Parts: sequence; structure tokens; C-alpha cells
Amino acid sequence: MMKVKGGDLDKLGLLFERYNRPLFSFFYRLTSENSLSEDLVQSVFERMLKYRTTYSGNGAFTTWMFSIARNAHIDHYRKNKRYNEIEDFDEERIGEAPPEYAELDERTRRKKLLELALNKLDSEKKEVVILSRYEGLRYSEIAEIQEVSESAVKVRMFRAMKELKDIVNTLSEEYSDE
Amino acid sequence: MNEKYEQLVADYLAGSLDEEGKLRVEQLIANGEIELIEFKAIEQLHDELDVIATPAPSSDLSTGFYAMLEKEKAASRPFSFSAVEKLKAVFAELTMPRLVYACLLLIIGGFIGDQFGRNESKLEELSAEMQDMRQMMMVSMLEGASTTDRIRAVNISAELPVADEKAIQALLFTLNNDKSVNVRVQTVEALSRWGDNEMVREGMVNAITNQDSEVVIIALADAVVSLGLKNSAKELEELLKYKELDINVQQKLQTSIAALL
Repeated sequence: MMKVKGGDLDKLGLLFERYNRPLFSFFYRLTSENSLSEDLVQSVFERMLKYRTTYSGNGAFTTWMFSIARNAHIDHYRKNKRYNEIEDFDEERIGEAPPEYAELDERTRRKKLLELALNKLDSEKKEVVILSRYEGLRYSEIAEIQEVSESAVKVRMFRAMKELKDIVNTLSEEYSDE
Repeated sequence: MNEKYEQLVADYLAGSLDEEGKLRVEQLIANGEIELIEFKAIEQLHDELDVIATPAPSSDLSTGFYAMLEKEKAASRPFSFSAVEKLKAVFAELTMPRLVYACLLLIIGGFIGDQFGRNESKLEELSAEMQDMRQMMMVSMLEGASTTDRIRAVNISAELPVADEKAIQALLFTLNNDKSVNVRVQTVEALSRWGDNEMVREGMVNAITNQDSEVVIIALADAVVSLGLKNSAKELEELLKYKELDINVQQKLQTSIAALL
């Protein structure tokens, strides 16, 4: 990135080849939308170019990159006024099981439940789970991205996992009764 | 559970606890400060999250990125042309190929519309003619002056169900000789689609040692691994041996060689 900052723009291609998949996965797990995730990845690289002079080289590049990614995601949803508006999980309003749920084998059913449960977490908790569990970032790096203390991130991670467990159990019971 | 214990469990899940920390968790479980059943359920769920996979992005992402990069590079170039020269460059690089492209599409569309109404049995023949036209257009655009148009030409190859020798030769020539890194990266992706063609496989392996761009080297390494071109390991080893490469690229090549052997 320091070379991009110095004017060697072709080096951004190297960063793109290395990070477009992790960024795409990050956005896909947050949004579950293919095309939107691709747009957001593109937006991250546009911002990297636009703000390249602000890159200091202190700290991990991935922390800087995911901070930009997080802001791109927040900006997108603020425009649509939906960011962090996920309602608290309400057991009374679970809704029907996904189509063909009953016909799925046990492993696919479990996978479906985990996906549904992850999507029911609020944005901040979901981000912590995705960045820690899937992108392999340390809690200190996530703290920098979310602009909170490291302890706060750890508490968020624990509570996200606990909530996830409760949602999976509730969904599993409800869908098996249908 | 108090917040200190919650943080401890989070550290345990991330695998960042030392022996002392793990012992502390065990003690808290033994004392009933951390509930064993809940702890085990959370640990199991954390492991299970691996099953949620994500799809791969489409090739549009790569096309969009490199088009954006080219635009940015063009915008950041110092202004050194006179107004007339710049106007000429705009016509040479942008308008003409686009005009040719638009005209060809118009002619093809008109031709198909005319033929389709007359005789449906000619559809197969027309489809073959369409492919020839596309190939011709692609080869001609690959020789153009504008990088954006050459990237577009490479992407036209994605619309071709099968490629003939001439199209493959044009793409391999581009991979070995085009001055733009971005065009060459897109060419690697385009050629990978025809990875079952022997000429493509051989051409990609031979192109490895011709590359001086690390971005193209990485794209080629990914492609030869996904196509299982085992004989490319020797070429990658040569690159490692004789070229001065960034440490990240060296690691990438070592991983690719290991995957191929």
C-alpha cells in the first residue's frame, strides 16, 4: 500500500488479487447479497485510492482495509436508513421455516439454521463474529476497526455467541414442530 | 456471568489463552462460575461456524476494478498533450473502437433479425457466424491502442462458447506481450475458462517465465493451480530462483508449487 501511496497505482492490483475474496466474503456474510457485496468491494478499492495519502503504514494493512470496508457498509445502509435497525430477536415472530426445510438432510439443515441465526444478530455483534471467526482478526484489531476498547469487543464476541446459540436452539425447536 | 469471565471465554474461543488462562477457565467451570453446558455449547457452535461458506465473486468484480484502476491512472498522468493531440488521442483510443463495436453489433443484429424471420433452419449457421464475428471483433480490439478497449476485448472471449486457434493465439500473444498489467491479468482469467484446451494449458505454462509483473505472476500461479497444471511447478521454481520478487509473492509461489507437487 505504501507503493500505491507513492504513486505506483498498479500495485493496487496486487492488493486486489490478494484481498478481493476476503472482502467479498465479509460483505456477503453481512448482507447475503451477491451483487451488493461486489459493489461494496469495488467501493473499498475506490476509497483506498481516494484516501491513499492518509495511509500511514502504522498497524496492519488489513485493519485499515476492514475499517474502510466497515464504513462503506455503514454508508450504504445509512443511505437506505437500515443500518443497525435489526429488531431484537422475537421468539413469537420467528416465521415459517425456509422452503423445503423439512426435505433437507441434517447437515444442510444445520447450516441453514446457522446462517439464519447469524443474520439475526445486530450489525456490531455480527461484525465481531465475522472478523474474528472468518477473517482471523485479533480482538485488538477489531477494537480499532469498531473504535471501542478491546474488552468491549471480547464481551461483544461472547454475547454474540451466546445469542447465536439461543437463536439456533429456538429456530431448531420451532421448525421441527412444523 | 460477569464481564471478566465473558472476556476470558472470548479469548478461549479465539485460541489466544496461554496455559495459565486455560487453567483459570477450567477452575471457573469447576467452581460453577462458568456454566459447563453453556460453555461447551458455545465452543461447539464456534467450531461449527465453518460450515457457512460464501460464493465466489463474479468476473464483473475484477473487470470493474481494473476499469476503475485504468481510469484513475489516466486521470493521474501529467498533462503533456496539446489540445489537438489530446483530441486525437481521445478519438484513437476511445471513440473509434467503440464506434466499430457499436456498428458491428448493429450489423449483426440487423442480419440476424432479417435471417431469423426468413428461415429458422439457418439458426445454427447464424450462431456459428455470430461466433466468428465476435472472435474477429475480439482479435481486432486486442490490437487497439486503448487499454480499456483491450480489457473489453478480453472479456468478449467469455461470450464465446468455444475458442478457435486464432482466438487462443491472440489471447496468448496478449498475455506475453501486452504492456498493460491489467489487460494481462484479465487475459489469464479469460484463458482459464478454456483450461481443458491443450494449447491454452501449454501457453499458460510457457507464459510464466515471461512475466515481469508480480500481479500477473500471482494470477498465473492461481490459474495453474486451479487447472492442476503440474508441469508449471518447474517454471514457478525458476521464477523463485532467478527473479527478485516481493516476499509475499515468494510465499505465494511456494504455496502454489507445494499444491502442484
